[in-house]
Amino acid sequence: MKLLSQARSYLSPSGTLTLPWVQEKVATNKTFAQKETKPNIPSPFWVIVQKEIADHIHSWRLIILVAIITLACAGSLITGLMHFKDTVKPSDPEDAFFFLKLFTASGNGLPSFIVFISFLGPLLGIGLGFDAINSEQNRGTLARILSQPIFRDQWLNAKFLASLLVVAVLIGSLTVLFMGIGILRIGIPPTVEEVMRIIIFTLVSICYIGFWLNLSLLFSVKFRQAATSALACIAVWLFFTVFYGIVVNLIANVLAPSEFAHPHQLVRYQEFIINLLRVMPSQLYSDATTTLLMPNVRSLGPLTQEQIVGTIPSPLPLGQSLMLVWAQLTCLIAATVVCFGLAYYSFMRREIRSR
Amino acid sequence: MNRFLLSTRTKMLSIVMVHILWMSLLGGHLAHANSVALYTPYPEISVPPGESIDYAIEVINNTEEIKNVPVSLSGVPKGWEYSLKSGGWTIQKVSVLPGEKKNLSLKLEVPHQVKKGTYRFQVVASGLTSLPLTVTVSETGTFKTEFTTTQPNIEGHSSALFSYNAKLRNMTSEPQLYALSQDAPRGWNVIFKANGKQVSSVQVDANQTQDIAIEVTPPKKIEAGNYKIPIQAITNATSANLDLEAAIKGSYEMELTTPTGLLSTNITAGKEKRLELVVRNNGSSPITNLKLDRRAPVDWDVVFDPKEIPNLEPGESAQVFATIQASKKAIAGDYMATLEATNPEVSEKAAFRVSVKTPVVWGWLGVMLILGVFGGIFQLFNKYGRR
Repeated sequence: MKLLSQARSYLSPSGTLTLPWVQEKVATNKTFAQKETKPNIPSPFWVIVQKEIADHIHSWRLIILVAIITLACAGSLITGLMHFKDTVKPSDPEDAFFFLKLFTASGNGLPSFIVFISFLGPLLGIGLGFDAINSEQNRGTLARILSQPIFRDQWLNAKFLASLLVVAVLIGSLTVLFMGIGILRIGIPPTVEEVMRIIIFTLVSICYIGFWLNLSLLFSVKFRQAATSALACIAVWLFFTVFYGIVVNLIANVLAPSEFAHPHQLVRYQEFIINLLRVMPSQLYSDATTTLLMPNVRSLGPLTQEQIVGTIPSPLPLGQSLMLVWAQLTCLIAATVVCFGLAYYSFMRREIRSR
Repeated sequence: MNRFLLSTRTKMLSIVMVHILWMSLLGGHLAHANSVALYTPYPEISVPPGESIDYAIEVINNTEEIKNVPVSLSGVPKGWEYSLKSGGWTIQKVSVLPGEKKNLSLKLEVPHQVKKGTYRFQVVASGLTSLPLTVTVSETGTFKTEFTTTQPNIEGHSSALFSYNAKLRNMTSEPQLYALSQDAPRGWNVIFKANGKQVSSVQVDANQTQDIAIEVTPPKKIEAGNYKIPIQAITNATSANLDLEAAIKGSYEMELTTPTGLLSTNITAGKEKRLELVVRNNGSSPITNLKLDRRAPVDWDVVFDPKEIPNLEPGESAQVFATIQASKKAIAGDYMATLEATNPEVSEKAAFRVSVKTPVVWGWLGVMLILGVFGGIFQLFNKYGRR
């Protein structure tokens, strides 16, 4: 009976006899065949990525940007270390996460690491992407490259990926440097949760810079002149960093309810203003990173007294911190991807042969 | 005339005789001329028991020759000790030059145990004269100790400290070292304190009183009732007893906890969580009409099942289920929710640390949004890629 069932299992549904050892042999034959037919040549996509990375690394533009960012971060690291004693208090519920304070500590007029990234990160993204397409077109290299046996979207994707990789390596190494010098100076290694938070913070930072990279990529596709696209990018960045705040302030002043308004009305007004501010990518970024790097942040909007009664000041677990800023993270990722999608769409649809 | 003379002579004689007799009876310091006399300034003394009396006795030689006077005491009550000394020597005889006097010192010890009354004895210069001495013992001498307290009964809960104040009076005439001991039931803790220090024995001078504080701690789990604590102060010679009484009232003690003792829980905002609670009567009286209450944040709801425990005997425990519903607006993080069990006698709290989590619905919406965007990009790739 047992033998019979075993024999039946070897019969495939179609009724043909398939024995396991025979199948194995067929499979090994197949892999051999694949190895023989496909030589170890990287796909053209990765070749372009490598070339683009090499281009970026040898360009003065990136060296200057990296120098600026590194200097700024070194400044904030020194401030963080100098003011570390002041920021760590014995009765702090956040005490378990004091390593994270390195990233958020500020003093002596020098802003913290996250503020520097939210300010200089866009410049890095714009600098890497504003002339990605149009300069190639102006130099006439675009048509020459695309006459090679590669797909058109591969070229755009490779451009984007190369820039993003450069950004990722830069931000990642800066963060690791920060942690390393922090461990050296403080002498206490970060906990697992702190490392997790720092990793997620790094990913969010890369995503944030990726948004600006995609925006500049979109402009470089849209505008024929590199200078125009650079100006457009800078204009958007300036608008969001300087003017948007002023505009929201004006709106807030106009809409401000009277002092004697109902608390619910005040709360709604506050939430409306905060939501207006959240149109700025930098606001989304600072919301997300503040919550990630300060685990005791429990809410980003206004809170009613009812919600505060009975609360115990305690750090949130990582999952809850992520839940709190999930909307912000979603918006950042979505905005990044939408920008890329637009750039992709307009690049794929355009005429590229003419100069 | 003769008769008159006779009568005057007899009268004079009788006067002289009476005078002499009176004189000889009183003191004897003016004893017969040309003889030996014994003199002491205080022939009658009143003393308490246990006192020692020092008599200074002078032997006066009124004769013209040297007198060898044997001196001894007679009629000394039984048990009284004495010594007769002169010039550092215990003496039986003194020799006095004519017209001179010699000092003797008689030391007499009145014993402790002696009855009140007058005791008479004599210092005898045998064959010559005697000196009667009187000692009045002012009170009946005892060898007794008094151990008293004004408040031997104290009432309190089993968790209370019973503090008694006692007086130990040494009525003997010697300092005594009293060993203090107690014979309390098992589990009771009795501490003696004298002069603010914990002691096991105490020294009391003669006729002095020492205050002794006695601190009694009953066992934690003891039934209500009256308990006797016998206390003793003992020396090798005397002892005194004191019976203290502790009236234990029924105590109300309760514990409100969970079966595991874990007082923290997770809850999603707007959702319910059912908790199992245990109410335990740790006191010695039954707890009745125990109501369950809460002190939770605003808009939180706690429902108990059952809402009230009618009766809980000592040592028993009851199971209660509490269903906590967090407010929809609760923010992520920790909240304090206090559950209470109260009746007029006792109240107990259990503070729960409730970690609020935000509902994941919005998170999934975000994931859907991102997936939608990526789907759009994928569509773009499909439509325009590889041209």
